[in-house]
Amino acid sequence: MDLSLIMELIAVSIFGAVLYTIIGIAPGTDETAVLMPVTLILVLSGMQPISVLAFFISAIVAKKLTDSIPVAIAGIPGGVLSAPMVEHAMVLKNQGMPDVSIRKMASGSVIGTIIAVPLSLLLANLLIPFGDTISQYSNQIFFTGAVFLALMTKNRWLSLLSIVPFALLIQGLRHLYWGIGAVPEDTTVFTSFFLGITVGPIILKLLELLNNDIRKNLPRRTTNDIVLKRQKKVKGFPNPFKILDKKETGSSALASVLGVFTFFMSPAGMTIFLGEVISSRIKDPIKRATRAISSMDGVTNAAYISGILIPLIAIGVPLSPTALGPGMALFNAPPVFSEDHNLHHLLSMSDFVVATVIGAAIAISITYFVTVKYAQQICTFVFKYIPHEALLGVFLALVIMLAYMDAGLINIGGVILIGLVAGILHRWGVNYGVQFMVLYAAPWIVSNLVL
Amino acid sequence: MRENKTLNKDSDHLEQANNIEVWEDVVNIKDLLLSMLICTGSAMGGYLLAPDDPQKPLLYGLAGVVIGFLISSMIIKPKRTLRFEDEEK
Repeated sequence: MDLSLIMELIAVSIFGAVLYTIIGIAPGTDETAVLMPVTLILVLSGMQPISVLAFFISAIVAKKLTDSIPVAIAGIPGGVLSAPMVEHAMVLKNQGMPDVSIRKMASGSVIGTIIAVPLSLLLANLLIPFGDTISQYSNQIFFTGAVFLALMTKNRWLSLLSIVPFALLIQGLRHLYWGIGAVPEDTTVFTSFFLGITVGPIILKLLELLNNDIRKNLPRRTTNDIVLKRQKKVKGFPNPFKILDKKETGSSALASVLGVFTFFMSPAGMTIFLGEVISSRIKDPIKRATRAISSMDGVTNAAYISGILIPLIAIGVPLSPTALGPGMALFNAPPVFSEDHNLHHLLSMSDFVVATVIGAAIAISITYFVTVKYAQQICTFVFKYIPHEALLGVFLALVIMLAYMDAGLINIGGVILIGLVAGILHRWGVNYGVQFMVLYAAPWIVSNLVL
Repeated sequence: MRENKTLNKDSDHLEQANNIEVWEDVVNIKDLLLSMLICTGSAMGGYLLAPDDPQKPLLYGLAGVVIGFLISSMIIKPKRTLRFEDEEK
């Protein structure tokens, strides 16, 4: 490994970190929607595989650090994985502490990254001998994951019962599209359904506005009065171990370790599950919220890093929600990469280590610094100048465009349908985790229902 | 979600106000519709007008989203009032 390659890795990592620091702040930027296309473009443009990996790692770390900002200040998820944090972040926002929640989340992210990088590399190495066997059972793993997550929620019977009908809805739409020729039979519509589930609750809310009775009964307000507490400036380079107290550090670390080991599960599901388990016994609402968001952000980072590294290193097929979504281009990007010719086959173990460490280190040093140091300035700016309407508009526009991209005009209706069902299920207590697992397992579930 | 009571004290005597709460913040229904039209229009406009190369439509579409967002931000005023309170600690 020569110096010029190292310099190139550093350069692409800086590019990834800067780009996704900006994109991450914009609310509603779904991870898959913003990471996959850019990675794909880089792969197709002929960038070296090792540089693509460094870029990707830097991008996900930066994105996960900054997507806490829209959650903290607007309660809008910066991506799928920050959706579960909204509820806790709102507690802090209403106390006038959105910048505290940004700092805590960012620090949880850093801890998650520091733990996940070495642990994922280690676990991947241990799993290499079993790679082939594991890849044969991916569907069963996703299905079991859905059942497991369903049983872990408060409304477990409802969640369990929703699995098959929701799978039918997803597969039903796919077969309809194939049947009428909206997409070729070898194309499985995925990204936009994923997005439909993500925005389900807001689609439901927006459609409700069209109902006269519901609209008339909504509470009317003039303005939203926000009181920000002035925070002391963070001097020097921020230290995550000082921003989080001992308990928060401990639970973020523990949650991150579990996040790595459950790399094949839906990161959103694990985030919700671990976040609730860790925080539910704390009485004080503010303490509970800070503990929950710092741990949850740790899990999301850890789950993302392990979710991409372990399948890449040990298995070679995208057997994790992260690999199936944002990281898809690292596994399959015809004509450059295919299932038998991708990063798994092209890079050595030392390549993986070098690219990952450089990518993660650069993203943390640039993005964490900016996020923590300027949290309050960022909040003030957004509150003063960015209308909530514009954020919601962007969210809707992205959904409609990606729906159209996946399967044409008909899919706009399809995604609204999925969003509506997902939104109602969500309101009834069937969480995102269950829904995402079902999305992954749907083809297998449905094929096993016909005897 | 349910912790909004403290901020909500003005709502009783302002039944006539035209703003409602969507997703944890206050919006005006007309402005919301306007912003949705602008953003969706600029996104789909970019997507459909882009040259027919792989990935180009998506990039143009994303650029459209950004433009739509900037336009909406300029013409719509946020319905928030911001105050600072010095921390007592």
